[in-house]
Amino acid sequence: MTIERRGIGMRLSILQYVITVIFSILAVSFWVLQVVEHAQFEEMAENNHQRTLALRAPRGIVFDREGKVLVENRHSYSISIVREHTKDLNRTIRLLAGVLGMDEPGVRTIVERHRREPTYRPITIVQDATLAQVSAVKARRLDFELPDVVVEEVPTRQYPETMAAHAFGYVGEVNDAQVAAGEEGLKSGDIVGQSGIEKVYNAMLMGEDGAKRVVVNSVGREIRTLEEDPPTEGKRLQLTIDYDLQKAVEDAFDATEAAGLTNAGAAIVLDPNTGGILAFASRPAYDPNAFAAGIDRATWASLNIDEDRPLNDRAIQGRYSPGSTFKMAVALAGLEEGIITPDFHAHCAGAATFYGRPFKCWKKGGHGSIDLRHAIEQSCDVYFYTVANMVGVDKINKWATALGLGVKSGIDLPNENQGLVPSTEWKMRVRHEKWYAGETISVGIGQGQVSVTPVSMAVYMATLANGGTRVTPHLLKAVDDGTGWKPVPAPAPQSKVEINPEKLQAIRDGLWMVVNSGGTGATARIAGKDVSGKTGSAQVISNAGRAAARTSKDLRDNGWFVFFAPRDHPTVAGVVFLEHGIHGPNAARVAHHILDTFFAKQDGRPLPPPPTKESLRFDFSDAMAKKQSPPVEPTER
Amino acid sequence: MFERRLYYHIDWPLIIAIIALCSLGVLMIYSTTFDPTRGTARMYATQLYAIVIGMGALVFMLSIDYRTFTDKSHLIYIGVCALLLYVMFFGMVQMGARRWIPLRVFNLQPSEFAKIAVALVLAKFYGENRGAPSWTDLAIGGALTAVPLLLIAKEPDLGTAVTLMPVFLAVAYLAGMRMRILGLMFLCLLLAAPVAWKFALKDYQKSRVSTFLDPSQDAKGAGYQQIQARITVGSGGLSGKGFRQGTQGQLRFLPVAHNDFIFSVLAEEQGFAGVLVALGLYLFVILRALEAARLAKDRLGSYLVLGVLASFTFQVVYNITMSAGLAPVKGLTLPLMSYGGSSMIATLAGFGLILNVRMRRFTN
Repeated sequence: MTIERRGIGMRLSILQYVITVIFSILAVSFWVLQVVEHAQFEEMAENNHQRTLALRAPRGIVFDREGKVLVENRHSYSISIVREHTKDLNRTIRLLAGVLGMDEPGVRTIVERHRREPTYRPITIVQDATLAQVSAVKARRLDFELPDVVVEEVPTRQYPETMAAHAFGYVGEVNDAQVAAGEEGLKSGDIVGQSGIEKVYNAMLMGEDGAKRVVVNSVGREIRTLEEDPPTEGKRLQLTIDYDLQKAVEDAFDATEAAGLTNAGAAIVLDPNTGGILAFASRPAYDPNAFAAGIDRATWASLNIDEDRPLNDRAIQGRYSPGSTFKMAVALAGLEEGIITPDFHAHCAGAATFYGRPFKCWKKGGHGSIDLRHAIEQSCDVYFYTVANMVGVDKINKWATALGLGVKSGIDLPNENQGLVPSTEWKMRVRHEKWYAGETISVGIGQGQVSVTPVSMAVYMATLANGGTRVTPHLLKAVDDGTGWKPVPAPAPQSKVEINPEKLQAIRDGLWMVVNSGGTGATARIAGKDVSGKTGSAQVISNAGRAAARTSKDLRDNGWFVFFAPRDHPTVAGVVFLEHGIHGPNAARVAHHILDTFFAKQDGRPLPPPPTKESLRFDFSDAMAKKQSPPVEPTER
Repeated sequence: MFERRLYYHIDWPLIIAIIALCSLGVLMIYSTTFDPTRGTARMYATQLYAIVIGMGALVFMLSIDYRTFTDKSHLIYIGVCALLLYVMFFGMVQMGARRWIPLRVFNLQPSEFAKIAVALVLAKFYGENRGAPSWTDLAIGGALTAVPLLLIAKEPDLGTAVTLMPVFLAVAYLAGMRMRILGLMFLCLLLAAPVAWKFALKDYQKSRVSTFLDPSQDAKGAGYQQIQARITVGSGGLSGKGFRQGTQGQLRFLPVAHNDFIFSVLAEEQGFAGVLVALGLYLFVILRALEAARLAKDRLGSYLVLGVLASFTFQVVYNITMSAGLAPVKGLTLPLMSYGGSSMIATLAGFGLILNVRMRRFTN
């Protein structure tokens, strides 16, 4: 072997050692990565490919008293950004806005609002996306262009028919104030009831969201599910609402609007013995479906600036002058306080003078000598001026309150307003003035300071119908938490008062005569059903100042019809209120359709067809309003 | 030409180790490219064909005396350079580089064969000279290496181009180049680095290097692959997640898993145990080839073996280091395991030459 060969051998040996050392270093490096630091990298790998997705719990379904679905859920798609995987948020916003056909600042505003939330929580950009939007986003995802955008299938509230909007309410994303208040562990992005029973019974309806742990690939596509904790559906509620009766109310209001009479009003029909509400409407209404999937700004704005204020629940929030419908409270005060008897006669000459000032009856020629029953039937103003003057405002207040006026009804709906029945104490407390006896006169015919909500009028009639129990109107009948229906007992009555049945009967007789013997409520008559009721036409006080504007519609009187039936052992009571409905008889026509439906259903007859604008035969002449004298404001001197 | 006794001198253990590594590669390619939604991808089959063709090339390179190849090395060298020139003007463009000549069956990548050509021509050049190479010898050898290197770098395919440098260095080293000169060369390289940084490197290359120094500075961009590579390897643990059970490779968090990062997938699915087996096989192949260089009948044989082995070893070590996220990400495949026809055929042909030298150690 030459020296040279030995040189080569030595150099090869050096190479062998170097290679062996390099491979040993590699082995040690891998040992460090794979064995020593394994736990850390394993966690990183899991974070890489595992995601926890929220599974939205459907809200509980709402049924009517007979099990018909009133509110349900449908599937919709929401499109959200998950910033956890975002490389360039601006790019994502720009691309997504383009794909969705939305304006970029709008999308940016939504993202900004949720900026401080954890990045793994999806920011919903579109709720209830259209199929076109969903497919556009999915196509982009396949191109890896929008790996940080997810399309989720979510249950969305659906109101199959837009009825009883104010009773059902609507749902919406929980707002910051609600989250801050920490109500029942609400978290941002939750859908909660914002109004109506959706709000009041939100805790029951909401259910519990589930979660799903999935494996995703590098572009975020779900590969498979690791574990799933299914969502718990919200409790199912049964309401006291009767679908058919509710439909009748809505139909009648639709016809009223179609006839061009008015688009505003309210109606409540309830069971006078329990307070269970059979139908509940406030008009104009809104479409709760518009809120279910996130209302857009334009719709929200238009609902808010609408002069008719459709979001306002007139049935429990509107305060109106009751007009002649208040007369039964005055009569009951007189009877129960022993100041008058049913046979008490007053002489009506078309007007009367009290405290030196003239007060007119609506009937120019007067009613002549008239007793209580006929005074109710004919709605004689002079009779009730006289009685009110004899009884005094505080006793009227006492009995009106016992019947449910001027107080909250306690209905299971949010934001109920309270009406007002004045008293000397009230005037001193609020106005710091003494009550003038002259002011009592106009209270006698439900004008002046008196104001009521439609729901309190329903309670008022129920109390007259059941003989003195001020029932609490309510909507909830039963709850099913998945283990079967459990009836919810009716809430306790607000108060109870002893009423002499004979005295009460005199009032009931008067109410029966209003409808059945040629009184002002004859349009509500149903043969054999002894409908008893009272019309009322009340000036729009709030618009008195605008008289100069001469906008004829706004100045038309409000029309009332309050009722119960049958006269003996009533099973139904309620109120129909038509804002600018001109007068009570028009309201009585609407009530007729409602009562006709009620009794048809009770008797198993076919339900009457929905009224048309012609079939209601409204009276557009302002004759009644003219005949009814505007009361002189007692405070004017 | 092929005497029967030569058959008994074939290095069977080396061949078995090579086949074992090829099989491991096919399994990993199958694992990473299998897509249940589309049925099995055909990549592993393509790789099998390449192995069969490569084995043919191996047998061919084995059956003719290596001195015949070195005698014709200048022709082979010129031929490969011509192909590289052809690629430069008429080659197929893929992923921003002009590297391939499209053939009917597969795309030929001439740069892979340049390694063998350079090894052959350098072995012949230094094998004809006696004594330590002079400055002139080094310059000529360097120039012979530089021509194909620059042609390949121009494609651009800097990764493959760089693998030619170890060929020259190794042959020159074995030919007796002074250690002092070797040191001087490294010094020059070190000094040239900032210049190269400024003028020669493209932006994407710069970002690869700078991200290597701090991967987290660009965790979603260039540093992404490096971080993912480390996660892939680290999450494999001692025994791995199991065949086709890896999440990093299967769910494509790691890009080009069947190619540049195939060793990361092996580490993820087969764990440290699988890594040790693969490292052991590679070490065995390299040491066994060095043994062939030692046993060679003449200096020409030793030089040839080392020339072929140098680029192979360089690529293996660099790729494995990179697949653990310990070196900048560079488009260098892992010979014998990564997906790629030209690379597989050229590598097996190279091993044909190594086996050739060992087999003919007793012939005249």
